[in-house]
Amino acid sequence: MVSSFCWSCLTRLPTASPRPMLPPTLTAQRVAAFHTSSPLLAMPPKKKAPGQQQGPKHRTATTFKMKKRKVTDRVRPPPVGERRALRKRIVLSNPNALEVADMQDISAENMVDSRLRGSILGLPVPMLDQLRAVQAFKPKQGWSIFRRPGTVTRRETVELGRLIDGISDKPEDKSKVVKRIVTGPRGIGKTVHLLQAMSMAFTKEWVVVTVPECQDLVLANTSYAPHSEKNPNVYVQNQATAALLSRTVTANQKVLSKLKVSREHPALKSPLKRDTTLEALANIGIQDPASAWPVFQALWTELTATSPAPGFEKDFASRPPMLVAVDGLAHWMKETKYRTAKYELIHAHDLVFVQHFLSLLKPGNQQSVLPNGGILLYATSASNSPSIYSLDVALERVAARQNRVYPSSPDYPMPTAFSHPDERVLAAFESSKSSVPTEGTLTLQTLAGITREEARGFMEYFARSGLLRQQVSEEWVNEKWTLAGGGVIGELEKLGRRLTVPVQV
Amino acid sequence: MAWQNPNGLVQAMHSIRQAAPLRPVLQRSVISRSPIWSSSTTTSLPKNLNGKRTYATEETPTSFTAAPPLDFKDPRIRPARLVPASPSYFSGNPKFIDHLLNLEGILAANANLPTVENSQAPRMAWLKLPQFRDFVGEQVPTKKYKGLLKILQRLNRIDPELMPENVGRTIKQFVRPGNPYANKPAPATVDEMGRARGRGKRKSSSAVAFLVEGDGEVRVNGKTLVEAFPRVHDRESATWALRSTSRLDKYNVWAQVQGGGTTGQAEAITLAVARALLVHEPALKPALRKAGVITVDARRVERKKPGHVKARKMPTWVKR
Amino acid sequence: MVFILGVNFPERNLVKKSLESFFGIGNHTSSRLLARFHIHPACKVGELGNKQVLDITAALSDMKIENDLRRQVIDNIKRLKETGTYRGRRHALGLPVRGQNTRNQIKNAVKFNRIERRLG
Repeated sequence: MVSSFCWSCLTRLPTASPRPMLPPTLTAQRVAAFHTSSPLLAMPPKKKAPGQQQGPKHRTATTFKMKKRKVTDRVRPPPVGERRALRKRIVLSNPNALEVADMQDISAENMVDSRLRGSILGLPVPMLDQLRAVQAFKPKQGWSIFRRPGTVTRRETVELGRLIDGISDKPEDKSKVVKRIVTGPRGIGKTVHLLQAMSMAFTKEWVVVTVPECQDLVLANTSYAPHSEKNPNVYVQNQATAALLSRTVTANQKVLSKLKVSREHPALKSPLKRDTTLEALANIGIQDPASAWPVFQALWTELTATSPAPGFEKDFASRPPMLVAVDGLAHWMKETKYRTAKYELIHAHDLVFVQHFLSLLKPGNQQSVLPNGGILLYATSASNSPSIYSLDVALERVAARQNRVYPSSPDYPMPTAFSHPDERVLAAFESSKSSVPTEGTLTLQTLAGITREEARGFMEYFARSGLLRQQVSEEWVNEKWTLAGGGVIGELEKLGRRLTVPVQV
Repeated sequence: MAWQNPNGLVQAMHSIRQAAPLRPVLQRSVISRSPIWSSSTTTSLPKNLNGKRTYATEETPTSFTAAPPLDFKDPRIRPARLVPASPSYFSGNPKFIDHLLNLEGILAANANLPTVENSQAPRMAWLKLPQFRDFVGEQVPTKKYKGLLKILQRLNRIDPELMPENVGRTIKQFVRPGNPYANKPAPATVDEMGRARGRGKRKSSSAVAFLVEGDGEVRVNGKTLVEAFPRVHDRESATWALRSTSRLDKYNVWAQVQGGGTTGQAEAITLAVARALLVHEPALKPALRKAGVITVDARRVERKKPGHVKARKMPTWVKR
Repeated sequence: MVFILGVNFPERNLVKKSLESFFGIGNHTSSRLLARFHIHPACKVGELGNKQVLDITAALSDMKIENDLRRQVIDNIKRLKETGTYRGRRHALGLPVRGQNTRNQIKNAVKFNRIERRLG
């Protein structure tokens, strides 16, 4: 039998002396403790006030009571997709904000007007449905604080407007192709730049094809399958393609319903009628996602057709220019979450969908990639983007070529030694001069902060919407411009929103 | 003591009584004369109550007249013993008391001269206590030396233009050799490229800021303000020195900051920018002080101690 | 409701989780199975094509899972017991088999050896 107490602690046992009434704290303190642990250094707690020490006032039962487990009725989880819809919800109007009186809508006339720099151009109400269809608006862009959506006209916007106007209307710019990668720091307005391009393209009745979120294609949230028996290492994503078709059809219904097919499409399961509209063609793919990819290819050949096949001349109308907008490019430059049959990760460049859009950056063979003209705008993202070294190098190379530094030059950017760059990524952005004169080479457009004048226009828009109670003076705008890191428009919007008087809900 | 008043002579007497071994003769004489003394103080008391400070050399009105001074040259009058040169010879610190009495006399004589503010008076490096003890060769108590320093400060505050020559000379005795305040740091200037440099510290961050005339660009460690400080509050505090003086669009800032967290870094930049701004525009000092960007916040995290859970926190008390 | 290897799964369930409900299939095996038939990990049972269901069923029926696997485990333990090894004795006593300390903190070790390995 082991003694239950430590012999060295005997000194601190309560003594049977005639003073057992002493509080134990005193005895413990007086006797020199053998153990020097830190709890012994601590101060004894303060005595409670005498009122609190007294027991219960009345005689109460002291029986043990079992706590009954509370029966909580389980709340049914929200239906499938509801929380996602709430998260992705986009509110475009705030009825409490004031209507800005002389705000112009974007139109064919004012999109080339450089006098409007720094002013806010509203998006026409009928166009909002089209823009929603192509998912041009993103949540948390601050659309919900103003009466109606509008965008700041900045230098790049006017330049883009002139470009779109030229490609549509000017004979010397006809069928010109501009290929651009839009980069810039966070909140600088890359996505809104794409939105402005789309709104201008819609006013000019172009066909707009967009990939609003590159990440959706590589997260392994949609189905995939090997492309065909012939090339099993390439994969199609039928649902994603069907979604793309549905976006395209909803946004461009007015244009596509006027155009008719111009040739046979043997890849499709069932032969098409002669007078099938392109809208009906796309709807085949939407209704049957298994055939979405061949349908998309058929639609693309139709849209890029310059002349009808023999026998189809009757209904042929010339195809409009196209705007291809892709947002969040970096996600396409790495391995996806999809797996091959051997459980290896699939590279994003092995997805047919991604391959198609990346191949547009290269010069087309014999004819340009968009023979009817158009603009390719591929934006990177700074808030949701994996860091990919190869992409950084590739973009530096694009910028270098733009500045006439060619691969033969020693200044041409090279990946550092042992960095193991992804050769496929580097190759994707190598684009030589096209043999077609109207097809431009790939360029890099780095957006910077807006100027002080544009910032002033933006802040005045806040004031005229009733969101700002300050006097918008030159000095005040300059101060906000500096605080926003040199006119980063997303930060300016946050600052303007911060100054609002909080609304009591 | 019934006759205690702030009179230097009485204090000296007091110290004599305390320090010297009781001399029966002196003691007796004092006691024997005490009724007269007390009567004299009663007469002079109302005058003291008026609030006017009196000094040792001032004549106190007495009801008796002193005997004429002895002329020791007269061979008939020969003292029975040697008479000390200083009246405070028998006190504990005779030399110190001599100096004190001398200074009090000078102060009383020049009490009416106009004075200047403390900050305007020339800065003097008075002897430190050990140095003063060496100087007089006595163990002067700290408190008494502090009293002496007070008189010296008061004398030093006399308007420099009207300072009598003998006062200046007397004061000089108590000044340390050499002039420790002569080594002033060279005033910072704007360099040939128009940059002003300032350094600042806060918490464990330290910042260097370069200020050039410009149009409101701010770079922190080569990054823009937004990239360096995602929080708006930090951005505002980093630029506060320029903002509070409405110079934000007149200068460009290029800052390097290291150590600490975001708050510390932002406030270190505030201080650095304020100091650099003072180089460009020294006249802004009052405005900047009012904005609170001149004052250095010297607080640092207190270290953890053994036996404590944190810097001060003790472990909880456990019974047994 | 979709039948996979004779078990009925509701359509809203994830395919991956449904596969893992079989004894002998965990995260490793199920994700490999999905990759083999090109099914994305977020796929629900209802979204499976007929061919894919047949493929999965065929693949599962080739594998040693459920009762076959349980029987194998029981046989192994039985063999250890019969040969009178130390491990067999530990199994019989319901104590940890692999040399864990049994002085303290033994609850989990005992718990893992107490699971009835009966045929389901």
